Amino acid sequence: MTLARAYLRAMWDAKLVLAFTLLLSLTMFILAPLLMIGLRSVGKGWFGRLWLPPQLTLDWYRWAIEVGNIPEVMKNTLIIGGIAVAVSTAIGIFAGWAFGRRQLPGKEVLMAIVLLPRMIPPITYGLGVAKIFYTLQLVDTYLGVAMAHVSVCAPYAILVLSATFEGLDERVLEAAGVCGANTIKRFFYVVLPLIMPGILASMIFSFTNSYNEFTLTLLTYGPHTVTLPVRTYLAVGDGYWEITSAMAMLMVVPSLVILTLIQRRAKPEKLVGGFKGV
Amino acid sequence: MTDAMIEFRDVSKRYDSLLANDHLSLTIRRGELMTLLGPSGCGKTTALRCLTGYVRPDEGRVFIDGTDITDLPTHQRELGMVFQNFALFPHMTVQDNVGFPLMIRNLGKAERDERVAQALRLVRLEGYGAHYPRQLSGGQQQRVGLARALVYRPKVLLLDEPLSNLDAKLREEMRFEIKEVVTRLRITAVYVTHDQGEALALSDRVAIMNRGRLEQVGTPEEIYEHPQSRFVAEFIGLSNFLEGHVQSADRDTMVVSIGGVQVAAPALPNAGLGQRVLLFLRPNEVELLRPDVPGGTNVFDAHVEKATYLGDTIDYRLTFGQGLALRVQTDAQRRFGQGTEVRIRLPRIRCWAITSG
Amino acid sequence: MTGLWRTHSSKLITLFLLLPALAGFFGLFFYPMLLTLILSFRPEGQTLGWTLENYTRFLSDPDGHWVMLLTFILALGATALSVLLSVPLALILREKGRGHRFYRLMVLIPLVVPGLIGALGLLLFWGPRGWFNLFLMQFVPFVNRPVAVDYTIHGLIMFYVWLYFPYTCITTLSSLESLDRSIEEAGEVSGATRWQVLRYIVLPLITPGILAGSVLTFMAAFGAFSVPLIAGGNYRPLAVEIYKQIAVPIPARWSAASAIAIVMGALQVIFLSLYMRFVRRAGGARGTGDLR
Repeated sequence: MTLARAYLRAMWDAKLVLAFTLLLSLTMFILAPLLMIGLRSVGKGWFGRLWLPPQLTLDWYRWAIEVGNIPEVMKNTLIIGGIAVAVSTAIGIFAGWAFGRRQLPGKEVLMAIVLLPRMIPPITYGLGVAKIFYTLQLVDTYLGVAMAHVSVCAPYAILVLSATFEGLDERVLEAAGVCGANTIKRFFYVVLPLIMPGILASMIFSFTNSYNEFTLTLLTYGPHTVTLPVRTYLAVGDGYWEITSAMAMLMVVPSLVILTLIQRRAKPEKLVGGFKGV
Repeated sequence: MTDAMIEFRDVSKRYDSLLANDHLSLTIRRGELMTLLGPSGCGKTTALRCLTGYVRPDEGRVFIDGTDITDLPTHQRELGMVFQNFALFPHMTVQDNVGFPLMIRNLGKAERDERVAQALRLVRLEGYGAHYPRQLSGGQQQRVGLARALVYRPKVLLLDEPLSNLDAKLREEMRFEIKEVVTRLRITAVYVTHDQGEALALSDRVAIMNRGRLEQVGTPEEIYEHPQSRFVAEFIGLSNFLEGHVQSADRDTMVVSIGGVQVAAPALPNAGLGQRVLLFLRPNEVELLRPDVPGGTNVFDAHVEKATYLGDTIDYRLTFGQGLALRVQTDAQRRFGQGTEVRIRLPRIRCWAITSG
Repeated sequence: MTGLWRTHSSKLITLFLLLPALAGFFGLFFYPMLLTLILSFRPEGQTLGWTLENYTRFLSDPDGHWVMLLTFILALGATALSVLLSVPLALILREKGRGHRFYRLMVLIPLVVPGLIGALGLLLFWGPRGWFNLFLMQFVPFVNRPVAVDYTIHGLIMFYVWLYFPYTCITTLSSLESLDRSIEEAGEVSGATRWQVLRYIVLPLITPGILAGSVLTFMAAFGAFSVPLIAGGNYRPLAVEIYKQIAVPIPARWSAASAIAIVMGALQVIFLSLYMRFVRRAGGARGTGDLR
């Protein structure tokens, strides 16, 4: 047996050890960068060749809040997020109802079209959006940036809500009707509670998408609409890793919430691609 | 060369709290078709998987042709297996599917093609080599599976509920084909099923399993006519059970006192006086007579509680003696209506005693 | 009029429901893309006239060639490495060993973390004062100075892998888990070792799934923006180049940027259709055994 084959054979026999090594390395590979951000954000005097910061401090967060303008940035982020969520959810409810409960020719094709903005990097159509906004004087406005976010939030909202509406069992409504409930009562007592989890899920996803959105914000923002991602980007340019890390920690919070939610419920395959198994 | 081809020696396998195989000891003879029969969860599939190696027994050893294969990896065991859901390789043609084991064994192309052709001829699928599994019907797919299992001439063929995924009519057809192939090749076969009809029709011997244990091993006749436990009697066909105790016994007959009547039955070898016995009788073995027929041994008055017309047979529920219930099936020539009085005769030779348990 | 309503009311209601979505799609995606397309044919800084010079300038300029080449290199490298990482990982994860839920969660993390944050963390970890270099300098002989990873091409490729390999891994894992295990059992009983089963049976059947996932990774890497923006150093892949055209020169070169954007968009559409084709083939990798 040649050396290469012997080597491969040994690797195959040592499957278990290799597998364990791979999993361990993977965990470190994934988590270490995030851990470093966390540590940097609270480290004092961390220079040179130290594994861990010698002291812990909240100075950087304080600096971010007082000098880095974080409260205003957060305000912007949340207001824009709120508008984006409201608009996306409204779009999602209407379109989701159409997809989920009504006869629609070429549903799959339409759904693919709806998801197109998520499949193409935002910079491609972001240019056009920016140009339009310049003309309409929507640049540096809450509404403008929020609408730009809608292009990335709405597709997922539609996806989630059409699944929600599709899952609404017609027979439950019928049973309620037979029990004597009119349309309004049926809506409030039966429909609403049943679709509420879906609406909440879609709102959380939309909010996270808006909160994290960077590219489109970069193209449509101005001094009054600096969001957290943009602020963090600007901090990188300034060169203070500690401040940037503190801001990055603030940015990560909704993502972690989403992570725990996903882990408990949805199938990850649905997040990926969005076409297969829609 | 021993007669035993496959031997389970005290095999036990446990899954969490469930004992799937409980000290299973079974010998399967060379060239016979043994069926493992039982309800789901009885351990028959686990036993089969101990043979393939997909399951390692916690205790006990497994032997094939005298060799202890308990620790041998699956791919070295030289067995053929037919699966319930066919398990054909969807990305390969029929030719490649059947030729796969030969390719693994590094046979040359010419010999591979020759053997594949032979195998396909055996299952009557010549000419289908270029088809893909998805283009074939269920029955055809199963035959490809059979060809693939036999193409490398294994010593033993395992069949794991091979007919369950086929519709009823096809099942009967395939039953004959499988039996024919197995007999012609004189190969030892282990067949797993929960369908008693299949078991009785196909097997040289049947092993009935219940909750990880062997209830009885025997030919289909032995199982059907002389079940050794209540479970076996109930599992195969319809049965009547009459429980009583031995009143008197001589060399070839014993009299059992049951619910106010005396029933004569073939003597149990070790039956002592007063011992509890369970008499067992198939519904179609009881003779139904008119009430004016003269009496005799094992002739009793009975009352028809219910009569159900089933087309070719009539199913009766009778009571006799002191509230003893009996289910009788006769052909539809003679009919007795509900509520009438009749006479029944339990043929002495057909009363089979199972020692209680 | 009411007659018209009665016969078509259902369709009209459906249309009405879809109106907000269609308006949003049109106004925020389709029309902007159209505008970008038109802009790409306009001479720089003008509102009228047609020209191809934006395209020709970009496509003939060696700088333009380098940008495209760089983008392909980064995307291909990241995709290849992702596949190499994802396939063994998926094979391990499907066995549902102890803690597999934890590792599956690990794989999801890069998907939910915004690219900016991921890039920042990666810069810190692989930077001259990060743990990677600390480890090298302390535990590996001959290494006395930090190894450059940040702002290099190979570093960037690895950053892309961190961010985008989950697409490949999840799709591959999904494909693996939809395989009928009895097919593998049949292979083993037929005499194939586990490795042979993997090589002749499992891998061919999951290849469409792997390909589908790797196209996703490729597309994400090809269109990456925030990551190369802060971690690319002097390297400017397509998306960054587009942005640079409108952010750096004054006045902003909208037409040039648009042309590049259209080129990138066209390429992305081609990749997308490839993905669709692979996905359709991936759906066929099922075991037989269904009654027809």
